[in-house]
Amino acid sequence: MSTNEELSHSLRTFADDCNANEKLRVMNRDWNRVIHIHADDTQADFTLTSNDGTVVYSDGAPSTCDLRVSANCEILTQVFYGEVSPNEPYNEGTLRVDGSEDDVLRLDFITAMLWEE
Amino acid sequence: MKRVVSVSLGDSSGDFLRNVNLAGVDVEMSRIGCNADMDLAAITLENLDGEVDAIGLGGIDIFLRVGSEEFIIGDGLRLSQHAVKTPVVDGSGLKETLERTTVETMLRNGDLRRGTKVLMVSALDRFGMAEALVAAGCECKFGDLIFNLKIDYPLTTLDELKDLARKYRSRLLTVPFRMLYPTGSAQNERASDNKFAHYFHEADVIAGDRHLILRHMPQELHGKIILTNTTRPTTVDELRRAGVQTLVTTTPDLDGVSGGTNLMEAAVVALAEKPRAALTREDYVEWCQRLGWQGEKHVLN
Repeated sequence: MSTNEELSHSLRTFADDCNANEKLRVMNRDWNRVIHIHADDTQADFTLTSNDGTVVYSDGAPSTCDLRVSANCEILTQVFYGEVSPNEPYNEGTLRVDGSEDDVLRLDFITAMLWEE
Repeated sequence: MKRVVSVSLGDSSGDFLRNVNLAGVDVEMSRIGCNADMDLAAITLENLDGEVDAIGLGGIDIFLRVGSEEFIIGDGLRLSQHAVKTPVVDGSGLKETLERTTVETMLRNGDLRRGTKVLMVSALDRFGMAEALVAAGCECKFGDLIFNLKIDYPLTTLDELKDLARKYRSRLLTVPFRMLYPTGSAQNERASDNKFAHYFHEADVIAGDRHLILRHMPQELHGKIILTNTTRPTTVDELRRAGVQTLVTTTPDLDGVSGGTNLMEAAVVALAEKPRAALTREDYVEWCQRLGWQGEKHVLN
C-alpha cells in the first residue's frame, strides 16, 4: 500500500519529468490548467498546476480546478510514477478523470509522451 | 454486377449511390452514413455481410500503417468484425498506393516541387502520402497533434510521426475513436476560432482529411492547392468560394462525388476476386493503373 508521502513524491517526480522534457514544455505552453488529485482511501489532496509549459506541485486541494483525478493512493502513485498506464485503471473504472474531453485527452497525452516507448 | 458499400460513421447527408463500369465490370457503389452511431454501423455491417461483394469502413480506420509498422484502431477492428463473410477494408491499402501515385502525378504536373510548403492536417492515417511528399522534397508540417489533439505543435519529420504512433499505440486500441477524430454531425462543425489559421496561410498546399481541412480552414485560401478526397459538390463550392485555386482528389470522380478510399478499395477487392489478405501492394498499384486512378485535378479559380 502506498502512503500519502509516496503519492506526494510520485507527483513531484511527475512534475519534474514534465519540466525536464523540452518538447512537452513547448507543447503545453498554452495549456494552463489546475489539476486536483484526490486519493479516495486516505482523503489526501494535491494540486498540479500547468502554466506556460511548467508544471508546479503543491500540497492540498485547489480552490477551483479544470481536471480532477481520483483513485486510491496506490493506483495514483503507480500512475504518476509511470509504473502503470492510466488507461488500465481508467478502463477498469478504478481511476476517474473528470474534466473536459480535451483536457482529459491532453493529460493522457502527457503521460504517453513521458512513459510510452 | 458487383456491389460494394461504404459503411461510414460519418453524416448520412453525404450518402450516395452510383453505378459505374470499372475495367469492363458494372459496379454499384454506395455509401451509408451511420451518423456516429457505432451500434447502427455494426447492425448495417451484419445486414450487408454475405449480401455484397466488399464493404468499406468509412470515418474510422482499422489499421494505421506507419512505415513498416501497423497500429490497430480498437474501435475500427471491433466494428469490422461484425462482418464475417464479406471482406471489410478501411482504405489503408489504397491510401498506401494511390495517394503516393497522386503525389507523383502532382509532381509531374508541376503542382508540387522541391520546397513546396505543405500542411498535411493529419498524416498518421495516410503515411504513404506523407512519405511521398517528403521524398518529393516538400517542406511539410504534419498537423496530427494540432488538429486531432488541439496541441499547437506541428510535426515536421517522418520520424516524429513514427514516434507519436508508437507512444500512442495502446491508446489507439482503447481510446474511443470519436475522441480522436470527428464522427457524424461533428464532421460538419467548424472551428469557433482561427487559432490554427496561420498554418493554412503559410502553406502552398493543404493535404489530408477533408473533414479536418474544412473544420479548421480560414475563410480565405486564395491560390492554394487542396489535396484530399471524399469531396461532395458542396465541398467544391466551399473551396471555390474560399479562393482555392486547385482541388486534387486522390480518388476518381463518381459523377460529382469522390469516394472515400475505403469504398474504392472495396471496389478493387471485389474486382480482384482474391482474398483481401492475399492482395499485395503491387496488386493495388496494378489495379490503380488498370483503372486509370492517379488522382484528379479540378481547377476551381
